[in-house]
Amino acid sequence: MGRRKLEDDDDNNNSKEFKSKNLQAERRRRQKLSDRLLTLRSLVPIITNMNKATIIDDAITYIQELQKTSQVLSEQLLEMEGSSEESVMPMKLEIDVAQHDMKKCGIKEEVKVSNIDGNKFLIKIIVEKKRGCFTQLIEAMNYLGFELSETNVTTFSGAMLFSSCVHGKYGDTLMVEHIEELLSEMMRSMKTSSQSAIELGNTN
Amino acid sequence: MKVYEESGCFDPHSLTDCQELMGLPGATPTNCHNSLEDTLNVSSYNHHHHEDASAALDMEPHQHYLLDNTTNNNSHMIPYLTQDLPYDQSHWESFNVVPSSSSPEAAAAAAAAGAYTPTPDLLGLFHLPRCSFLPNPSISFETTPGSPSVVYDPLFHLNLPPQPPVFRELLQSLPHGYTVPADDKDAAGIGGLYHDGDNGIIQFTRDISMAGRAKDRDKAGKTTKHFATERERRVHLNDKYQALRTMVPSPTKNDRASIVGDAIDYIKELLGTVRELQLLVDKKRCGQDRSKRLKTEDAASAADAGDVEFKSLGDPDQCYNTSLRSSWLQRKSKDSEVDVRIVDDEVTIKLVQRKKINCLLFVSRLLDELQLDLLHVAGGNIGDYYSFLFNTKIYEGSSVYACAIANKLIDVVDRQYAAAPPTSSTSL
Repeated sequence: MGRRKLEDDDDNNNSKEFKSKNLQAERRRRQKLSDRLLTLRSLVPIITNMNKATIIDDAITYIQELQKTSQVLSEQLLEMEGSSEESVMPMKLEIDVAQHDMKKCGIKEEVKVSNIDGNKFLIKIIVEKKRGCFTQLIEAMNYLGFELSETNVTTFSGAMLFSSCVHGKYGDTLMVEHIEELLSEMMRSMKTSSQSAIELGNTN
Repeated sequence: MKVYEESGCFDPHSLTDCQELMGLPGATPTNCHNSLEDTLNVSSYNHHHHEDASAALDMEPHQHYLLDNTTNNNSHMIPYLTQDLPYDQSHWESFNVVPSSSSPEAAAAAAAAGAYTPTPDLLGLFHLPRCSFLPNPSISFETTPGSPSVVYDPLFHLNLPPQPPVFRELLQSLPHGYTVPADDKDAAGIGGLYHDGDNGIIQFTRDISMAGRAKDRDKAGKTTKHFATERERRVHLNDKYQALRTMVPSPTKNDRASIVGDAIDYIKELLGTVRELQLLVDKKRCGQDRSKRLKTEDAASAADAGDVEFKSLGDPDQCYNTSLRSSWLQRKSKDSEVDVRIVDDEVTIKLVQRKKINCLLFVSRLLDELQLDLLHVAGGNIGDYYSFLFNTKIYEGSSVYACAIANKLIDVVDRQYAAAPPTSSTSL
């Protein structure tokens, strides 16, 4: 390659002292590039010549081809999803199963708030697991002006345990009982709203 | 029009006369000169002749406007040309013609140009800096095989802003597209009249000394294949690297090795995505076929229960697609990082974002949308960042795939991040 020749000439002509340090680094750099090009070459099922320029071109073509294929497949998938009727059933089944499990294990719904140092609280909530309940919980937290610094959520036996260390964003400190009350109320409203949704679904 | 006039470009009309001149292989330079001056001195040109010329040139319609301005340009050109009347061979070398990215045969033209001595001076007088080459051979003026072929690019006068190198252009500029010219030594020696990528105006005789040096070196180094100039080849190669870089979703550094590395990773990711999608489509099709079959069987014979079972077991269409789907993707942006792993129907998502907004809400909404059932969430504030881990399960019947999840997630998160007003840190 002409470029390599130029660089070698420069190295040789200009600085004999720095030649060794730079030459090795340059060699390593070129080695790294050629290794990677070899890997690229191995991945691409190319059809043309095997020189540096064509391998890049073929890689571009191959990537475009793969992107097109994946797009076609995903459209196909979307079509098929639109025509299938499987997804409607599970929701109702899940909910019934969840309630059943919770009662079996004796887990009760719960809201517990404890104060840690000023405006920080530890909130623990056990709620019946439903689709979208986590979102509602987070919305509730936002509404109360809480910033979640550590969050943990686990689900078991149809129940969801939400445990989080929060601190109030807004200045005024809330009392523990106050928070508990607010949260319980929110949960109740969540429950009723989701129940009415289920009823609507039933009638449909 | 203004551009054309002020730039002092060569006169397309006079080029047609050049064609006639070049048609005489034995023409002496002085003859050419005289005819040239005569041509240029023509103040009123023949419209009929002009039409022939344009037909011969096969120019685009808008170029006819330009040809109408020849009268003005003739007077413009004359003082320009008279300066260069005393010429010598060096002029020809200063007239460096190089093919643009889309013309293989121009290489032959450039190569042969150096060999043909009497005529080149004319073209040098024309100072064809605005010329470039076109793949359209109907515009080239070819006489004898050895004569220089100059192709006139009608669009160049307009000083159009440079188009980003389209991939097709790059393809055409591949070395294997160049033809072997008749005479090799001068071809390699001709330096670069080329298109400066920044402002669309060709730099004329950029590196004559460079050309001289290149000539000597290339004579020794290059074999049968010739590129019009080494610099041009490098520019093209760099353009290709940049084109490759634009295709990758999250490019990192801008040097060649990492571009190739990113491309390798992206190709592997694409292969995985295609495989995953194919699997999903197959599974879905299987499921649809099975449900269809069950329906028809139920409708057909409800009485004979045993038979139905037997049929479904031995059915050749039944596909036992027992392969597990597994895929892994990562997406990085300036402030966020997303990692999505899917094994069969369980999706594990890791999200790291610079602390600014609490993204939990948006992520959770997105997960609901994507029909992912949240099993476990853990995370919080670590130093400057929020880091979360989501374990989810895909609801039965949904066929989301890894790439979609990752892309949507990083999109939502980035958008929210950008939308949120910059807040001063009030962390406790």
